[in-house]
Parts: sequence; C-alpha cells; structure tokens
Amino acid sequence: MNDVNILELRNITKLFPGVKALDSVSMQVRPGTVHALMGENGAGKSTLMRCLFGIYKMDEGEIFFKGNKAVFNSAKDALESGISMIHQELMNVPDRCVKENIWLGREPFKMRGFLKFLDHKKMYDDTLSLMRRLEMDIDPNRRMGDLSISLQQTCEIARAVSYNASIVVMDEPTSSLSDNEAAHLFRIIEDLKRRGIAIIYITHRMNEVFKISDTVSVMRDGKMVGTFRTADLNEEKLIRLMVGRDNANIFPYMTPCSDEVVLKVEGLTSDDPRSFRNVSFELHKGEILGIGGLVGAQRTELVEAIFGLRGITSGSIFHRGLEVRNANPRKAIGHGIALLTEDRRGSGIFPLLSITTNTSVPSLKSFRNKLGLLDHGEIRKVSERINQSLKTKTPTMETLIQDLSGGNQQKVLISRWLMTEPDIFIMDEPTRGIDVGAKFEIYTIIAELMKQGKSIILVSSEMTELIGMSHRVMVLCDGRHTGTLSRTEATQERIMRLAALFN
Amino acid sequence: MSGKNPALDQARTILSRYTNLVTFIVLATVLSILTKGASLGWDSVQNLVIAESVRAFAALGVGIIIITRGIDLSIGFVVCLVASVSASFAQTTDYSAALYPGVDFPSYLPIVAGLATGAAFGLFNGVLIAYGKLPPFIATLGTMSIAKGLQLIYTRANVIGSLKAPFKNIAQGSVGPVPNLAVYVFIASFIVWIVLRHTRQGTHLYAIGGNPQAARVSGINVEFELVKVYTYAGILYGVAGVLQASRLGLANALTANGMELDAIAAVTVGGVSQTGGVGTMGGMIVGVLTLGIINYGMTYLGVDSYFQLLVKGFIILVAVFADMKKYKRRA
Repeated sequence: MNDVNILELRNITKLFPGVKALDSVSMQVRPGTVHALMGENGAGKSTLMRCLFGIYKMDEGEIFFKGNKAVFNSAKDALESGISMIHQELMNVPDRCVKENIWLGREPFKMRGFLKFLDHKKMYDDTLSLMRRLEMDIDPNRRMGDLSISLQQTCEIARAVSYNASIVVMDEPTSSLSDNEAAHLFRIIEDLKRRGIAIIYITHRMNEVFKISDTVSVMRDGKMVGTFRTADLNEEKLIRLMVGRDNANIFPYMTPCSDEVVLKVEGLTSDDPRSFRNVSFELHKGEILGIGGLVGAQRTELVEAIFGLRGITSGSIFHRGLEVRNANPRKAIGHGIALLTEDRRGSGIFPLLSITTNTSVPSLKSFRNKLGLLDHGEIRKVSERINQSLKTKTPTMETLIQDLSGGNQQKVLISRWLMTEPDIFIMDEPTRGIDVGAKFEIYTIIAELMKQGKSIILVSSEMTELIGMSHRVMVLCDGRHTGTLSRTEATQERIMRLAALFN
Repeated sequence: MSGKNPALDQARTILSRYTNLVTFIVLATVLSILTKGASLGWDSVQNLVIAESVRAFAALGVGIIIITRGIDLSIGFVVCLVASVSASFAQTTDYSAALYPGVDFPSYLPIVAGLATGAAFGLFNGVLIAYGKLPPFIATLGTMSIAKGLQLIYTRANVIGSLKAPFKNIAQGSVGPVPNLAVYVFIASFIVWIVLRHTRQGTHLYAIGGNPQAARVSGINVEFELVKVYTYAGILYGVAGVLQASRLGLANALTANGMELDAIAAVTVGGVSQTGGVGTMGGMIVGVLTLGIINYGMTYLGVDSYFQLLVKGFIILVAVFADMKKYKRRA
C-alpha cells in the first residue's frame, strides 16, 4: 500500500436552492484500495460523486488528482484523466452490440487514403482481449439488449476498466447482480486493486463493505462523518455512524390513534414477479403508518398498487371492512384514497397549468352547475382556501405551478388531494427535494391531518422522518414485509436491520 | 425564477396570451396601408372568411388534438374522402355520369354520411393511438393513406360533380350579408370554446397534454379521453368535408390537398403548443386568420405564388421557434 493519495477532495460544498447538499466535505483515496462510501439515501454520496465528475458545479472546494489540482468540467474530462464510473442504472445503447457500446465515443478508425473508416476488427480484438483480461466470457458482437441485466452490468464494468482508469467509482454495482455474479465482480475488484487502481464503492449492503473494502467513509446530511479503517469497525458501529445520534425534536406532537381499522391489506402480491409479494398490514383511523426500506425495497410499487396504478396477482384490500378492487386511480379516489406520488415532476404537477387548475383537476366533478358546465368562481374560491390553509406561497392563483418552489409545488399537490376529501392519504417521499423550512411545514400539515382523523401512509427514506412522524413503522426489504415496529420499538438501528434482512 | 413581482408577472402573462392577436392586427394594418384601405372593404373581408372557413374546422379539430400532445396527418385525405362521399349522395338525378345515376337520395344523407365518415376515421385514429399505443404521427400517417386509397376506390378516380342546388347552397348561401360559412365557423368555435374552457372534459384535455402520468394519477381515464378527442376532431373534419364539397360544387382526389399542413401551421401560429397542454379556441381561429391574411395579402400584392409558399414556410418555422422558447420547461 502506498501512502500518497491518488485523489483528494477538499472542503467541497454544494448548495441547492434552500439546501446545503454538501457541507465542506473532504475525503482522501489511496491507490490500490477499495474505499467504501456509505450513508443513508440523501446523505450526499451521489452529489459528491457528481461534483467529482463535473456533472454538478461545486460552490466551494478543490479536487486534487495525483497530487495536482484538477478541474473536471464534464464526465468526459474525468474519464480522459482516468476516473471512470459505473452507474447504478445501466447507461448503454441496447440496440448496438457489446463492442460498439464499450468503445462508444472513442471508436478506433483506420485511414483509407484520406477517408476515415470505423475499424471493426480492432474494436473486436480490443474487446476480446479486454474480456479475457477480466475473465469475462461475452461475445463482442452480441447485441447489448439481448444480454441479461447482470451481463450488461458486467459490460459496464469492462468499459469502465477499458479507460485505463486509475480510479473507478462504483455506485451500487451489485444491485442487479446475483450472488455468483457479485462474487465474480469482487474477484475483478481484487484484480483491479492489485493493479493499483483505487475503487470508490458506494453501497448500502453491510456484508459487501466488510468483505471487500479497506477504508470506509461515512456521510450524513451532507456532511462527512469521518473516514475509518474497515478493520476498526463492526456492523453496529457503522450503522450508528450512518444514522447519527442527534435527533432534534422537530416533529409535531403525535396524538394516539384509534383501534378502528380503515384499511386492511392481505397478502398483496404484485403482477411483476420482481416486485412486492405477500404484503399484509392494517391502517387505523388517525394513524400515521411509516413505510421504510432501502432503494429497491418496492415501497413505491406497493402504494401505487393500492392506489390502482399497478396491477396485482393476488391478495385483497379492505376499505372499512368492505373488499375493494382499485383497478385504476379513479376507483381509488372514489374510495377516499389519495396518493401524493414520489416523482413530483414526473407524475405530480401539470407544469404549464395554473395553481387553480393544478389543485382542482381530480375534484372537478363536484363543481358543475345545472348546465353541466364548470363553476370557475367556486373552483377558484375552494382551491384558494385550501392552498391558503396550507400556506402555499404564490403571487396569484393563476400563476403557473412551474414558477413555484419545490416546497410550494408540494403544498399545491397536497391541496389537490385534500380537495377530494380523502380519508386515507398515502404520501410517497413527501419531503424529498424540498428545503428544510418547507419540510417542517409539511410535517405540521401531516400532523394536522392526523388530528382530523385522517389515516396516513408515509413512505420515506429518511430515518429521522419515519421515526419522528409514524405511530408504527413497517419495513420492506426486497419486496417482502420484514417487520413492523411500534413507536417505542422503532430505532434507526432496528429499521436498518430489517431493511437489509435479505442482503 | 419569476413570481417575485406579481405585476410584472401579470403583464407578462397578458402579453404572452395575446401575442397572436397582436400579430394578426399588425399584419392586417400593414396590409390595409399597403392596399390603401381596399383590404378593409366588406368584399375583401367576406372573401377572406369564405376562403378560410373550411380550414377553420380542420384547425379546430387538430387544435384540440395537439393540446393532448397528439398530431393528425390524416386531415387532408379524410376531408377529401368525406367531401367525395358527401358529394356522391348529392348529385343531380339527370346527371348520367353520377356515381349513383338516377338515384334521388334524401337531402340529409350527404350530410349524415359525411359526418359519419369523419367520425369513423377519428374513432379509428383514437383507438389506434389510445389503446394501440401507436405514436400519433405514425398512426395518422397510416390512416392518411387508407383515406386516400378509399377515396380513389370509391370515386374510381373520377370527379364527383353536378351537385344539387340545395346542397351547394349549404355553403354558398348567406344570411343577409353574412356568408353561411361564417355562421357555421362561429357555431363550431363557440362549441369548442365551451368544451375547452367550461367543461370538465376540457380541463382533462389540458391535463393530459400537460402531463399524462399526472393526469392518470388524478383519476382521469386518459385512453378514453383521447379516443373522444380524436372522434370529435373527426366530426369537425366531416363538417369541413361536407362544406368543401358544397362550396366548390364538386369533389375530386385533389380536394383539401395539404389541408393538414395548413391546419397544423395555423394552430401553431395561433399559439397551440407542440409541447401539449397549451392553446385556446381564440388562438386557433386567430391563427387561421393570420395565415389567411398572409395568403390573401400576398396575392393582393401580386406576390408570385411559388414565392408565397416560401414565405409561409418561414412563418411556420418562426412560430414554432417562438413557441419552443416560450414553453421551454423550466428546471
């Protein structure tokens, strides 16, 4: 091992409107080591890597690469300097073959007179020797999309290595791999280590960290908690470092809920075999039921199935004792269920429509006059009243929703659902991507709804939020219900353990 | 980020809402100055209205489709087929070259058959797009060819002429000084305005065009709404076809040739955005009139008709460019 750092990040700060995503983060990486980067969702790991690759422009801080100050303006810059990355999601062109994918953007050419031609043979040979070196057995001429997801992931690794990188960043590379394939990946990592390549390994899986890493850096809330030798840690300690001890009392007072069951889910199984299966739970009147789990635990899929956006193969849903089939969202809304979706831009707002329209779309039915035409005055009045009660800040009700901040957009969407007068309100990551002030306002709104006797399902990746807001926390892992913790039982350590039960 | 100054915000909103109208008024003024007031005469206005009214139906139809993020390339040939079907039931009984020689069809049949043909094509487009999940561009490209083929088969590539006087009078007549066509356009525009502005369905169309996924989450039956929109548009093309046959007194394979491009261009100039979820009835009509006045003005000023095509092309590109800038989704 070498004592000189190949990469040093110094005091990196990244501000997003209203949020300090990275707060003076520093990190040193030595060659020939596997450096694990850990932290909860939203701790700032991805943001840090994006700053390294120049995808985000950092507000403060410096990067030193091989002892020299470096500025990468794009991922291409970083790649050419010898830092490559394997993303969690596949980034390939499924319709082109393996060799073309690997050399994409830097294809070898041959000259014929003054004409440049693609050198297919060299591309093939280079791919083959690369595959041999990594002990991979993939035909360079296979169409990428015909390979299994794990083989595609393997190709991504080959591509990352092919840049002769001295640092390879891997963002949850095993999330789509089987155990055997993961073992193969670890052999490749060992091999890369021997060649002096440094690996920054982002993962949630404890066992992998202890199996392959030499060093662990832990992040929390945009800050670097510290860097430790893996040998000095154990699972218990690592979890404690990740979730932190300080749990300031920012959450509203919780009133106890009643025993009356408003929603009962029994043995619910998705029509997608990779998604959730056999999930059962009960939701009481005036209760906030938290749903926790890691990325890929299928929480969103579960609540979307309850709301009729996704199909189920078996299981049943009872609403106030009566079995209901929510074949589509219209039916679910009719049964008094509301869903604030996880992806505000993708499935929430109508960017070019006004606040009034954005608020009233699902409830227009009740605002028609005798001729069946819309009563615009009344629609506006009710929309405005609900938005005011949630303290939505907007110049006028005719302002386009895309001109509001994330927090205010979220309040408009909550207003939208309150206007349908639901008694079950499902909120999927309601505070994601909004600033701290608005976050607390949303907590207050949730608590207010609870006091009014509404039942709330709160899906969240933020431990403190889950624990602070929920009467009970139900944990999913890999599509399965691994346990439910009462308010007194729910600690971050316990939730983490249930969330990673099958890893 | 805007939204800090409400007054400025409002001024911007108002200005951007009426850009199209302002453009039209400026063009009309320029033209009337160039023609020393002649273009403001009643005859000129009447000619403009008559020339553009059939196109207005096509524009209203494709306008509501574009609001839902769709497109329709089949307009021209569907209108052509409708005109031919309609005309074939309105030929005079003494005309020996008629498609059905000597048969005296009831006077309502040309209208009913025309509207039904238009509606059937709209329904077919809608089902292909909403339930078949075909991209609107490709689906309507297919139906365009089908309509063209059916027209040629049905008419055996002949001109359907010698139409009865009462049928021709549908479009050629007038109520006092107001041409019938203007009355029909007014009624259709009024209905489209009511639907878009004052019904639940209208709001749903904007929602679907604005964000289909969010529309689905909000409980809107996206597929069914799309089928309805394409069917309504088909009915409007049906009206356009019947009126075109009535206005010209005949139908042939060249009837309404290229009308899809005129209609799409008109609503684009009128501020119906290709990004979906944006556009008003007023904008669509102003768009039709703007393109109309440009055509009319150039003819009046003696601009070579080949050159006119060039000018029209550039106007469309400028309109789309302005639209893209205006509705670029802000991050």
